[in-house]
Amino acid sequence: MDRMLYVAMTGAKQTMYAQAVNNNNLANANTHGFRQSLAYAYTEPLRGPVYDSRDYVQVADEVIDFCKGAMQATGRDLDIAIQGDGLLAVQAEDGTEGYTRAGDLHIDAQGIMRLGNGLTVLGDGGPISIPPAESILIGADGTVTIRPLGGAPQGLAAIERLRLVNPPTQDLIRSEDGLFRRRDGDPAPADANVRVASGMLETSNVNTVGALTRMMELTRHYETQVKMMSTADNLGKTNNRLLGIS
Amino acid sequence: MNQALWVAKTGLDAQQTRMSVVSNNLANVNTTGFKKGRAVFEDLIYQTCRQPGAQSTQDTQLPSGLMIGTGVRTVATEKLFQQGNLVQTHNSMDMAIEGRGFFQILMPNGDMGYTRDGSFQINSEGEVVMSNGYPLQPGVVIPEEAQTIGISQDGIITVQLPGQVDPQELGQIQTADFINPAGLQPIGENLFLETAASGAAQESTPGANGLGQIVHCALETSNVNIAEELVNMIETQRSYEANSKALSTADSMIQFANNNLAR
Repeated sequence: MDRMLYVAMTGAKQTMYAQAVNNNNLANANTHGFRQSLAYAYTEPLRGPVYDSRDYVQVADEVIDFCKGAMQATGRDLDIAIQGDGLLAVQAEDGTEGYTRAGDLHIDAQGIMRLGNGLTVLGDGGPISIPPAESILIGADGTVTIRPLGGAPQGLAAIERLRLVNPPTQDLIRSEDGLFRRRDGDPAPADANVRVASGMLETSNVNTVGALTRMMELTRHYETQVKMMSTADNLGKTNNRLLGIS
Repeated sequence: MNQALWVAKTGLDAQQTRMSVVSNNLANVNTTGFKKGRAVFEDLIYQTCRQPGAQSTQDTQLPSGLMIGTGVRTVATEKLFQQGNLVQTHNSMDMAIEGRGFFQILMPNGDMGYTRDGSFQINSEGEVVMSNGYPLQPGVVIPEEAQTIGISQDGIITVQLPGQVDPQELGQIQTADFINPAGLQPIGENLFLETAASGAAQESTPGANGLGQIVHCALETSNVNIAEELVNMIETQRSYEANSKALSTADSMIQFANNNLAR
């Protein structure tokens, strides 16, 4: 009897985790470049001595959905969106290299190119430093061109190239800081075929309708598990009543 | 407490912030020299409930983990400094900057403020001031008897005095530029303050060193695009609704457990 209670309890608990993963997708429906996680459940068998009744459930969210978000035109020169596959390399707070699809670039007071959240954007040769410029343009292959302050329209200077990589998506995991990294932790090689579009941002790829449907499904599933738990409870009560000495 | 509830709450918070930014943009659609804002979001840190890649036995690894995101946060409400449209006003004290740069304004506390709002006026002492009375720097005093005022593309102010053939030069407007204008701190009244993020102001003559030229008898309108903001508003509202649905669903799950267990 209590086996039933525990099996149902893990079901309810893991459904709640799946709901949190799903809610995180919904909360990030407007985060540029966000990639949704798909929570899925698998069996975690735990064999007892009598018969095979205990298959506990375990939820995992490792699957990151890398399908594309929509392109949003912003008209700002320093907004970039990666067209097709590929990722932009940035330096994480711990100094390691991480990858992202977010592309709202900024130039800070020291001339260093950063993402909207302050992380340093990496070029082929490390952090990108931009001299005082009248305008900054980013080409389709990530080449950063500037027109220096007071420079003639034809006096353009190519500064650096954004470090764009394209490792296989099954090698990528999401780290605790939200950046993607390779499973083995090594930096990915630069890929010359990644294309970026300037003046655009990529929206998150969360499908709101899909997430809301999933939310309902998980709720009903949770209710079923709770029902099982209360049934187990009732069975125990009946046992006690029938067998108890009163 | 329940993770799902708190994640949904961060979503509601973020959409609320975005809605304030959108409303502020729409409210300032007719403010001279106003620069629109944009809310930038990022996902919060992920909480590892089950470490992916841990050894399940000596030879095998767990193929997957459970990393629950803790929601979303607004990381910045940045200003977008795209050029606004220039409109002709035929008012001789109006000027607009076409390109980079800010007018420098002396604030009452002695600090320097920066603005793109070029609707200047003359106060009782003949000083050139903003509509709120703060004087333009370097200061210019327009003589009382001046008949016409001219402002050149590089900021030289000339007046025509009665009985004189040649116009008289009064001074030159200097504008300031920043390496990162998005780092300026907006303080209202169309003014911005220098911060560590914007870099130091680089004062120069309009039209030189990459600074924009001054257009006389014109004003720069706000760079808010109403259609774009309305689309943002719809998107924000729908996201808010979805998150509010998520919040009430997580709540009803707990409620169901509370009502059906251990009675």
